[in-house]
Amino acid sequence: MWSFIARRLLASIPVYLGIILIVMAALRVSDPVNAYLGKNATKEQIELKRHAMGLDRPFAAQYVEFLGRIVTLDFGTQTRRYESWKYEGQNVGKKLAEAIGPSLSITLPELCLTTLVSITIGMLSAYYRGRWIDRWLMFLVVLGMSVSVLVFIVLGQKFGSSWLKSALGIGWFAASGYEPWLAWSKEPLWGVLPYPTRFALGTWAHYCLLPVLIYVVVAIGYDTRFYRAVMVEETTRDYITTAIAKGASKPKIMFAHMLKNALIPIITRVMITLPFLIAGSILLEYQFRIPGMGKLIIDAIKDRDFPIIQTFTAVFAGVFILSNILTDVLYALVDPRVRLS
Amino acid sequence: MVALGVIACYAAIGLWVLGTDAAKRLGERTGWWSVPASPLLDALTVERADEVVGAPEIPGFGIRPRPEERVRIAQSYLDEFRKRVNIRVRNRAEADQRAADAIAGIRFAEATPPNWPIAEFRERIKAALDDLDAIAEVGEVDRHPELLPRIEKVERDIASMLVAPAGVRGMLYHARLALGTDRQGRSILVRAVYSIKVAIQIGLVVALVAVLFGSVLGAAAAFFGGWVDLAVVWLYSTLSSLPDLVLLGVLVFMFTGSIFDDVTKPWLSLVPIYAAMCLTFWIGPCRVVRGEVMKIKELEYIQAARAIGFGRAYILIRHALPNTLHLMFINFSLLFIAAIKNEVVLSFLGLGVKVGPSWGRMIQESTPQVINGFYWQIGAATVFMFFLVLAFNIVSDALQDAFDPKHVS
Repeated sequence: MWSFIARRLLASIPVYLGIILIVMAALRVSDPVNAYLGKNATKEQIELKRHAMGLDRPFAAQYVEFLGRIVTLDFGTQTRRYESWKYEGQNVGKKLAEAIGPSLSITLPELCLTTLVSITIGMLSAYYRGRWIDRWLMFLVVLGMSVSVLVFIVLGQKFGSSWLKSALGIGWFAASGYEPWLAWSKEPLWGVLPYPTRFALGTWAHYCLLPVLIYVVVAIGYDTRFYRAVMVEETTRDYITTAIAKGASKPKIMFAHMLKNALIPIITRVMITLPFLIAGSILLEYQFRIPGMGKLIIDAIKDRDFPIIQTFTAVFAGVFILSNILTDVLYALVDPRVRLS
Repeated sequence: MVALGVIACYAAIGLWVLGTDAAKRLGERTGWWSVPASPLLDALTVERADEVVGAPEIPGFGIRPRPEERVRIAQSYLDEFRKRVNIRVRNRAEADQRAADAIAGIRFAEATPPNWPIAEFRERIKAALDDLDAIAEVGEVDRHPELLPRIEKVERDIASMLVAPAGVRGMLYHARLALGTDRQGRSILVRAVYSIKVAIQIGLVVALVAVLFGSVLGAAAAFFGGWVDLAVVWLYSTLSSLPDLVLLGVLVFMFTGSIFDDVTKPWLSLVPIYAAMCLTFWIGPCRVVRGEVMKIKELEYIQAARAIGFGRAYILIRHALPNTLHLMFINFSLLFIAAIKNEVVLSFLGLGVKVGPSWGRMIQESTPQVINGFYWQIGAATVFMFFLVLAFNIVSDALQDAFDPKHVS
């Protein structure tokens, strides 16, 4: 197992080096300093900025330097600054650390809820295959898929927050904004284990629950069809016939036999939806003004904030590659037939 | 069948808009011809899409909004007139002349003011404004149904000052107001229809280029193997290790400050979107075609072709690639939807279409309207996009069932 993980990590190194190379090259196609400062900047200003960022050095040197930053996770310290352009005086590392919490507090619930709900609906649909409930579910799902995600977000925001408040007097959900709801202790327990000092679930629900729910509604459309197809295929297998012949009850067959065997495509699917998850969260963070990584990178692209774009894409890529490795490991855990070699 | 019909309708509208637009632009550029300013021919050009056709945020289908909204709409029409009548020049005659010219210059699409003497305009505008002020003084217009006849009188006054022409042009004017107006008073219908062209243009270009590029690379990788395969696999696994939206954002950023970042040239300004999407979306077809060619290259007919002595490139293009055509079709229709959806998302984030209308921009512009309860713009963009995407979803499902029945979607 460990040697497998190590090998997968080693194999993904060239891929990671490649994506950093491509991103760094793409960001330098048109001069980022010019793009940021605009046409009215003087020569000196441009040169100063370029020098401060190290953009006047050869590309190979910049590449190595940036790789060094990633390897040592050094995106600016008190003494060696690596500052964002837009937010002067703030290190990129600080912005990154601030953004991870909000991002995770909507992506993780999104992932769990979506998977649970869509597997349930997919199984229901497969269970009632061909009957009206199945037909209606699938019809609704195709309809939902054809409406833009944005519409769900914009209308969900309106009806979930302001309409609910004005019409029914329910002020559960904020229209936008974010407040930290989880705080960790400065000194970890026994020197290793950090424990939360503040755990305000109500605050989380106020700001994050609505985006999470909207995401679930959107994602169900894409996932349910897949899970239904998987389940339907599974029902034609011999072991199901055997189980029926033995007299197992239908719920037992569904949950004990089918779900277990369908886990492999399910895991694949969950991992395949990761980019969708990140993209969806970018939109949700953007619209709900949640200061997560997605909102930050979109704002950075709009403000031409070069250091942030470069660092955040590198982080996104890293997370992504790691999650792919995690998928393969999960396969092996779920399915003993998969050999880790 | 219905889905194909819907797609055909969209394609026809898209081509019509593209054709009239291109003919007009080319005629202007070269001076070889000028598109006659006939009302039907240039009904769907960019200029029409950006033209003010009425007060901001009029609801569609001729539906009467709440009285408060009606007062606002009437006020904004009258303000348009008042701005032009109040000219601060000492000389009375000159002031009249300039006011008359200004009033004659008022255009709400086809609707123009009638040919009245300036004194009558002044009188009527003043009377209508006084009426509105009196209505506004009551306050809470929504709660006072007895004010309705007075509002209707003001509306009649405005209607008499803005006359729609008869015939085809008049019908066009009403058609443009059919879905209401957006925040700047532009026709939502024209903008939504014009966006079909933008969507189809982007979808076609991106899907075609990405599918061709991806399939050729994928087929070559599988067929030649060795370092070609390694390089292609490395390239696509590298590019796919970033989420699409982030990669698209970075690639769009690549073009900032270049000649493609020029809002005065709508044709060039789409290039970053094309490039970003093509560079992102070729991965899908590349993977699929590579897998298929891997299988195909072991088949007898390829070996037979090799035995005859055909070159490898010839076999690849003549024998291997045509047998992946079904996959290309499926991928084309999948990418077409993906391109349209991503264009909308990018435009929504302010990174996509920057000039002219697009569904994404319409949805973005409608966000504050939705909060105030005005759904016409978001509704129009959604419905227009919905039918196109739904039709393509159905078609690509059908294609998949027909060509690739083993695939679990």
